[in-house]
Amino acid sequence: MPIYFSEHEVVLPGQLLSDNGKRSGDGTYTLGGKIYAAQIGFATIKNNKVTVIAFKAAYKPMPGDRVIGIISDVRPNGFEVDLGRHLTGIIRIPDREEVKSMKLKVGDVVYVKIRESGLSGVIIDRGSRIRKIESGLLIQLHPSKIPRLVGRRGSMINVIKKLTGCDILVGKNGYVVVNGPSPESEFAAMKAIRMIEREAHTSGLTERIERYLRELLGK
Amino acid sequence: MAFVPKKDLTAKIMRNKVYNLLLQDKRIDGRHPKELRPISIQTSLLSKAEGSALVSMGSTKILTGIKVELGTPFPDRPDEGTFTVNAELLPLASTSFEPGPPDERGVELARVVDRSIREGGVLDLKKLCLVEGEKVYIIFIDIYVLDYDGNYFDPSLISALAALATAKIPRYEIVDDKLQKTEEFFSLELNSLPFTVMVGVLGERFLVDPQMEEEKVLDVSMIIGTDEKGNITCIQKNSPGQVSISLMDEILETVIEKTGEIRRKFLQEVPVKLASTA
Amino acid sequence: MLKPERLIDESGMRVDGRRPDELRPIKMEVGILDKSDGSAYVEFGGTKVVAAVFGPREAHPRHLALPDRAILNCRYHMTSFSVEERKPLGMTRREVELSKVIREALETVTFLEEFPRASIDVYIEVVQADGGTRTTGLTAASLALADAGIPMADLVAAVAVGKVDGQLILDLCDVEDKYGEADMPVAMAPRFNSIVLLQLNGRMTVDEFKRGLALAQKGIAEIYRLQREALKKKFSEFTPAEE
Repeated sequence: MPIYFSEHEVVLPGQLLSDNGKRSGDGTYTLGGKIYAAQIGFATIKNNKVTVIAFKAAYKPMPGDRVIGIISDVRPNGFEVDLGRHLTGIIRIPDREEVKSMKLKVGDVVYVKIRESGLSGVIIDRGSRIRKIESGLLIQLHPSKIPRLVGRRGSMINVIKKLTGCDILVGKNGYVVVNGPSPESEFAAMKAIRMIEREAHTSGLTERIERYLRELLGK
Repeated sequence: MAFVPKKDLTAKIMRNKVYNLLLQDKRIDGRHPKELRPISIQTSLLSKAEGSALVSMGSTKILTGIKVELGTPFPDRPDEGTFTVNAELLPLASTSFEPGPPDERGVELARVVDRSIREGGVLDLKKLCLVEGEKVYIIFIDIYVLDYDGNYFDPSLISALAALATAKIPRYEIVDDKLQKTEEFFSLELNSLPFTVMVGVLGERFLVDPQMEEEKVLDVSMIIGTDEKGNITCIQKNSPGQVSISLMDEILETVIEKTGEIRRKFLQEVPVKLASTA
Repeated sequence: MLKPERLIDESGMRVDGRRPDELRPIKMEVGILDKSDGSAYVEFGGTKVVAAVFGPREAHPRHLALPDRAILNCRYHMTSFSVEERKPLGMTRREVELSKVIREALETVTFLEEFPRASIDVYIEVVQADGGTRTTGLTAASLALADAGIPMADLVAAVAVGKVDGQLILDLCDVEDKYGEADMPVAMAPRFNSIVLLQLNGRMTVDEFKRGLALAQKGIAEIYRLQREALKKKFSEFTPAEE
């Protein structure tokens, strides 16, 4: 198909990407049979579709996603979970006694799985465990940085975990909880995470993070 | 009218985290409990304002402008110029600021800054009188919070003082019984530099200059100001909650040290004309 | 400010030395604030504007949320010290009107259907006003929206054209706006040659309007180029991750 960009070129909203309107993917839109970029990001072909990997894309909850949220409301028939920005997850529990027995209060942090997301809102999976997080440092990142924080097959996050000794729970919605053996280790993990947030779209980041952590922790 | 932040839900685990770190004299951003964030001050940025200053303390950014008008003095102070302080928590600064008339926090900010300047005796208002009982200078100090990452109080006062220090006031003179604007300008002389420090208390520990994540979990916060002579020029407990009297001595000691730091930074960055002490 | 003898002389030179079709010096910077999702700072000569975007986020109050799309809110506001005569705090009727027309321009290019029940909030703050504040504000707001990753059909670029001493000019400064015969702010989504904001304050012949529009288009093409440059500059060091 005729395309007007080079692979991974930075494109801007309104930029013409292709004449073949049928292959429009994420971050693009079609008009008059042509494909244009809708967001700033890298233009690429993914699964045979013209796609823009947006630098800042809002999180779209998908079934099966694991996310971290803060209980924002307790009702007789369940809970509301703040997942950040415009997203609120609903945990539906028809049994009032069960709701009480879960002992979840407003302000508690939970790790949950998304069942579905659509017109009725974001529904949390009741079948999976709703894990209450008892302690840790809660860091809120833009959700578009999470893939980079995790890395291919966990390559990036494992570097941080290994060097700092911290347990790091990552939610696809951008919320991260860090628990470490010492304040220094948690601080180092936090600094590394913030560095990834800033430099998510640069190359050689994994090596830089490793070097940074070694220096910070004197390893 | 109380303000209840909606989406700024606080995670309980963060309170524990901030408190446990404090017990070890640590903070989530790596600072020491008695450490201020880096301060930057830029002045004289805007041509339509008689004075202006942009101050940042960490990520918190405040823009203050001075506008000068002529007006009538208060009847009980016929030989003094006047000044008023206004503040706006701009919605572009934070998810917790909504557009509309200043809510109680914006009003509080303006009044706290006002008191620091007024009770601190910063301006010699008698020098701002043109015709006793008839015409005086009116100085408007307008503060805008542009970016909010905790503690808009301290940088607001710094920017107000920096804007005052670098303001160019148009000189008027009386010619044939009429007030005429000349081509000249004069600077304001400041009698003192009374800075404030925001203190946050958690349990029996305290920290200074809280950033947003810390502000959300504090038991109580307060603003205390002192001048170069060690006088207290401002106190404002600005949140619900209680503070133990036994903490106050150490808090005051810390505040005096920190305002001294701010003063040194201010004198480094801002060309201020200080009135000589009598 | 006193009215000058002439706003444009025989050789076509304007009060600030510009030619009729010349833009003022323009400066653009993207991502200048930390707490908002997207932000930008734009200068058109002496006009200086900050714009910030929050969104998508939960619509407040909830009962105003739309079931099938986001609400775009826009607040155009001027600081008290942005103008010669101090502007009192609070929103004036002019600010209310400008907030509306700017919002309508931005709504036109934004894919609001992507975020049902959410809101996208755009805040424009004029810190120094020297003519063309709404067009500078709109130009900045568009950059802030792109910075925030809000999906849009195109950027919006805007400029005001006017008429002084019978001549059409581009990018009015304050004096020209105050003492000229017409002031016409124009905003476009340049990719599609479509107008998204259009107002006229003053009087023009049909011919002047057409020529004015062409002049605006020329200025907008340049402003659009500068916007794209400013956005690319912010992300210039970005390279794709090892996928």
